Amino acid sequence: MRKSWHARIFTRVVSTAGAGCALASMALVGTAVAADHGLTLPAGFSSVVLHEGQGTARHIDVAPNGDIYIAGRNGLSAMRDTNSDGKPEMVSTFGDVKGTEVRVFRNWLYVSDDVGVYRYALTKGQLVPGGARETVVGDFPRERQHSDKTFALDPKGTLYINVGAPSNSCQQKDRQEGSLGQNPCPILENYGGVWVFDGTKLNQTPANGRRFATGIRNAVAVEWNGKQNALYAVIHGRDSIDTLFPALYSAEDNATRQAEEFHRITDGGDYGWPYTFFDTKLGKRVLAPEYGGDAKKEPEVGKYPDPLVAFPAHWAPNDLLFYEGKSFPEKYRDGAFIAFHGSWNRAPEPQAGYKVVFQPMKDGKPNGAYEVFADGFAGDMKDNSPRNAQYRPVGLAVSPDGSLLVTDSQKGRVWRISYRGK
Amino acid sequence: MKARALRLSAVAGAWLVAAYSFAAEPAPGQLLYNRHCLACHQADGGGVPNMQPAIAGGSWVKGDARALALFVMSGGFDSASRKESDVGNVMPPFRQLADDELAAILTFIRQKFGDGGSPVSAADVSAARESDPGR
Repeated sequence: MRKSWHARIFTRVVSTAGAGCALASMALVGTAVAADHGLTLPAGFSSVVLHEGQGTARHIDVAPNGDIYIAGRNGLSAMRDTNSDGKPEMVSTFGDVKGTEVRVFRNWLYVSDDVGVYRYALTKGQLVPGGARETVVGDFPRERQHSDKTFALDPKGTLYINVGAPSNSCQQKDRQEGSLGQNPCPILENYGGVWVFDGTKLNQTPANGRRFATGIRNAVAVEWNGKQNALYAVIHGRDSIDTLFPALYSAEDNATRQAEEFHRITDGGDYGWPYTFFDTKLGKRVLAPEYGGDAKKEPEVGKYPDPLVAFPAHWAPNDLLFYEGKSFPEKYRDGAFIAFHGSWNRAPEPQAGYKVVFQPMKDGKPNGAYEVFADGFAGDMKDNSPRNAQYRPVGLAVSPDGSLLVTDSQKGRVWRISYRGK
Repeated sequence: MKARALRLSAVAGAWLVAAYSFAAEPAPGQLLYNRHCLACHQADGGGVPNMQPAIAGGSWVKGDARALALFVMSGGFDSASRKESDVGNVMPPFRQLADDELAAILTFIRQKFGDGGSPVSAADVSAARESDPGR
């Protein structure tokens, strides 16, 4: 479960292994992998590989009974540990949604793809949803870039959808050297922000939504914080300042300066894309080169908030989770885990990211520096190419026992990370 | 004396050529590839899954030189094959590069990622530019 309120409001009780529906391909499989996991973790933590082979896994969620649901570019899958040995014996694929987000909410499984958010009814006793897919919001335009419609739900059922901008920096000619920015950026009318909908209503279209926050290039990692009663996101920063504006920025600048920004997302907030980015070298927000930036000029004071945390450039934050489990040590309570998928746009500099980071939090604000929590996913990564990464972390969830689950998009591997004590 | 001087010059010249080679100075095409192409297509020409397509192993890099030049010059925006692909990002046009620069890049990628394909000349690029509807 991503959030503790899932457990409070999710009322179904699953007691027996369920039968598959017509859409499901059910299999009892023995693909759980043994000790070969290779992650580096803080002292006292250990990991096991729950499963591998469900294709390009993306986000993950866990029902209160421990059933695991995974979204992926290959489709949806569900897993259940039927003999309480900590590993799933029952693994099923189901449905027809290929995408990133999956969340258990009340007695529904909410999922999304590039053009919509959908839900399946969860039936008591059944691992795989038996009913038809319902459309909550459909008909988003099909775009090529930043098209994952990741989302969060608050306890009332308000649906917050990340509508990524189909653009790098709103240039007149996208990703073309020297092309200046469109001003104002027309993309922001329908993209580059978070839109809210009533998550309990069906058959909505984008026109039924309200723009909640703007200036957000792409927030794959978007999460409701139940204790703070607030939305948070970690945003993918812009690419290619060096190749687009070589007179202003070097390849090393491009590899290091544009932060991946962690924000508390407020109603009406504007987080600065495409006009600005947060420069980690200068430690401040600067105007983007497409909008009059000269590698140091700043926007109007106070116009855009600084990030809570400026993470290194291009690490690709793909999931955010506030830890409300009980089994990790006290310092982890209410802190933020962030899964970084790892860079591609640092080349020719060495690629980086490919790790799960922990950001200590107190009262909804950072409380000290972030720490690398799980590393060692990428392996040797021949030729500095993301394609050759052994694993790339994408999704996070917490099991009812407090262990952290992490998915991988290279081989569909799923790890369970547990605290065993010092 | 003259013959000895010539021999010495020849030795020095060979040494200079060897030194140039061993200095690992990349070919002009590789330098241009590194600047304009590598970030997306990566050092090994393999691209990035779901983001940018591979050059290596593809049909464009091994195919007709002028068609390849026109494709890179005009970018992926109007390519029917791109519309059907899974990768997210679309290649921008590279019309701004000179004929000899494009020729050097295309020659490099054909040698490295196109099974040692034939070089692309500046004349090939120039001819492609003549047929570029977006020029």
